[in-house]
Amino acid sequence: MNVLEINEVYKTYHDTEVAVTAVNGVTLSFERGEFAAVVGPSGSGKTTLLNLIGGLDQPTDGEIIVAGHRLSELRPSELIDFRMEHVGFVFQSYNLIPVLTASENIGFIMNLQHWPADKRKKRTDELLHSVGLADRGNSRPSQLSGGQQQRVAVARALATRPEFILADEPTANLDSKSTDTLLDIMEKLNRDEEMTFIFSTHDSRVVRRARRIITLEDGRVVSDERR
Amino acid sequence: MKDYQLAWKNLWRNRRRTMITAASVFFAVFFALVMRSFQLGTYDHMFKNVIESYTGYLQIQDSAFADEPVIDNCFVLSDQQVSALEADKNIDKVIPRIESFALAASGNRTQGVIVMGIDPVLENEVSGIKDRLVKYRFTPEIVKEMSEDSVPDKIKKLLPLFENESYSSVGRLMADLDLKESDTAVILPLIRKKASFPNGYFGETSPGVLIGDKLSVYLHLNVGDTLVMVGQGYHASSAAAKYVVDGIVKLPTPDIDNKIVYLTVNSARLFYDTPGMVTSAVLDIKDNSEEAIAETKTRISSTLSSPLKVLVWQEMNEILVNQMEADSKSGLIMIGILYLVIAFGVFGTVLMMMSERKREFGMLISIGMQKRRLAKVVSIELILMGLLGLITGVIATIPFAFYFNTHPIRFTGQMARMYEDYGFEPVMPFMLPDTYYLWQTLVVLIMLVIAVFFCIRKIYRINVINALRA
Repeated sequence: MNVLEINEVYKTYHDTEVAVTAVNGVTLSFERGEFAAVVGPSGSGKTTLLNLIGGLDQPTDGEIIVAGHRLSELRPSELIDFRMEHVGFVFQSYNLIPVLTASENIGFIMNLQHWPADKRKKRTDELLHSVGLADRGNSRPSQLSGGQQQRVAVARALATRPEFILADEPTANLDSKSTDTLLDIMEKLNRDEEMTFIFSTHDSRVVRRARRIITLEDGRVVSDERR
Repeated sequence: MKDYQLAWKNLWRNRRRTMITAASVFFAVFFALVMRSFQLGTYDHMFKNVIESYTGYLQIQDSAFADEPVIDNCFVLSDQQVSALEADKNIDKVIPRIESFALAASGNRTQGVIVMGIDPVLENEVSGIKDRLVKYRFTPEIVKEMSEDSVPDKIKKLLPLFENESYSSVGRLMADLDLKESDTAVILPLIRKKASFPNGYFGETSPGVLIGDKLSVYLHLNVGDTLVMVGQGYHASSAAAKYVVDGIVKLPTPDIDNKIVYLTVNSARLFYDTPGMVTSAVLDIKDNSEEAIAETKTRISSTLSSPLKVLVWQEMNEILVNQMEADSKSGLIMIGILYLVIAFGVFGTVLMMMSERKREFGMLISIGMQKRRLAKVVSIELILMGLLGLITGVIATIPFAFYFNTHPIRFTGQMARMYEDYGFEPVMPFMLPDTYYLWQTLVVLIMLVIAVFFCIRKIYRINVINALRA
């Protein structure tokens, strides 16, 4: 069953004198539980594609359907709610809330969704355990290493069990040990929770672990391999 | 986690910046309130001095006298009129006055004076003129003698500042000389011994006069000396007489103290040749609130026939009121500048905060936080920061206002002389917290609301993609 369908999507920027087409007629679909990497050289349109899928940006043309929602039909405030309910984000530079503890960061989206406190705590503890930070729940982001912060970010993205996780260069700021630990955790969560992961990456270690590799060049899909 | 909890945590993420911004609001509020309290307290004190020792709150005058205060514009005040006025619910007494001018002389010195014909008993009940009789006077000789005596060093240093000063009460003397209760046992007997001033009041039928302290110093007059006065009486008759000085009074308004001569109303009628007449009838009122004064004026005006009219204290002291209004406006401009500087400081903080946290805001919106909720959290942060400065600022001024209201700042030396030259008592009390506190609070709140609106607008205009790249 497809959780995400991308049909003939274009994105053209008119910010400069010359129009730039960052995504040029991409058509893709993703099933539940995929572990996919979008690769390609810089400027190939990876991040733009992820932004479009996550509803952060609107396509110039084409259609994106997530869990039955046509993103082009949603108003800006509905798009925010859509992201809260259906999409988990993992950013390159972690982007945790600095004044909150690891537990509070993980519980933040559950809080936005008004989960009851006991249910929220149970899920937070479960995720802290899954990402190997059961003893660091009360630590602030500044007290955690880069790898640990990214693990908290993954746990936050997974917290409300969204349709899929979009991770934009999630390992770019991590050393190889932290990268391996993070990938192990994501693979395990992908397996255990049947969560769909879509990465944009340059990192060969991520590509090696991915079960589907989509290569973009000049905004076009030039290959789509499944392993 | 509730929005206000998140806002509170955010507030302390950059503790130093929050403290600096709150401190800037604190100091703005503190200085603005202190300045305003000082200004309003001083005006209030000046008005009270003039009203209580001179004009009263309400007077009945001939309408011509209000424009041209000469003896020809006096009127007959009958007993029936007095009874009718005293029947009003807010009027306690009606005090007759004859007020005009004359030239006073003693030895080879002359001075233009205000001649005030008063009822010694009634006037004393209203303006407490008996309490203003000079009790102690520090002539240069007395100051020298006391300085050589065994007085505490602190007082010895202060004494020269009070040369030629007179006092009508021990309280004022203690305040000026900075005397503590513990000092009084040593110094008061000495002051009583050395500086006591023999003085007296006049009775209803007394032919003598009371004169202002500064006038007595200028004319070198003492109790028992003779004062000569020459002036113009009713309808160009000649007015000339000599009077024995029965007493010397110390009035708080220097500009009156240096030219006042009190006679009994009967003596003044004789002097000006105005039998049975007055230039004004002071209405001693029970309730002196602005509303009660206005209502009383309306009621009394309706019973009077032309050319008599009722004047309120502002109309009788127009110059002073205008002076105070002009001064008040310049004070408000100063406060405005102070707030403007602080507003820039607050906006600087807000701009820096918005710019620093742009990426975080982008992240929060991308993971599903609605912009209105984000705006609410940031608004709470700003309001908490502003309120922190505002509330502490207001609280910090309250003890000052209470202390300096009862212990006013009293200028001495050159500064005191400068004040007296302008006709003001060199005393600056603070005004107790009043509606002006609300106004200052409102100004700060408006400043905060503008800052909050600015933030809200910025948040609603955030482009998530750009913010995440910031």
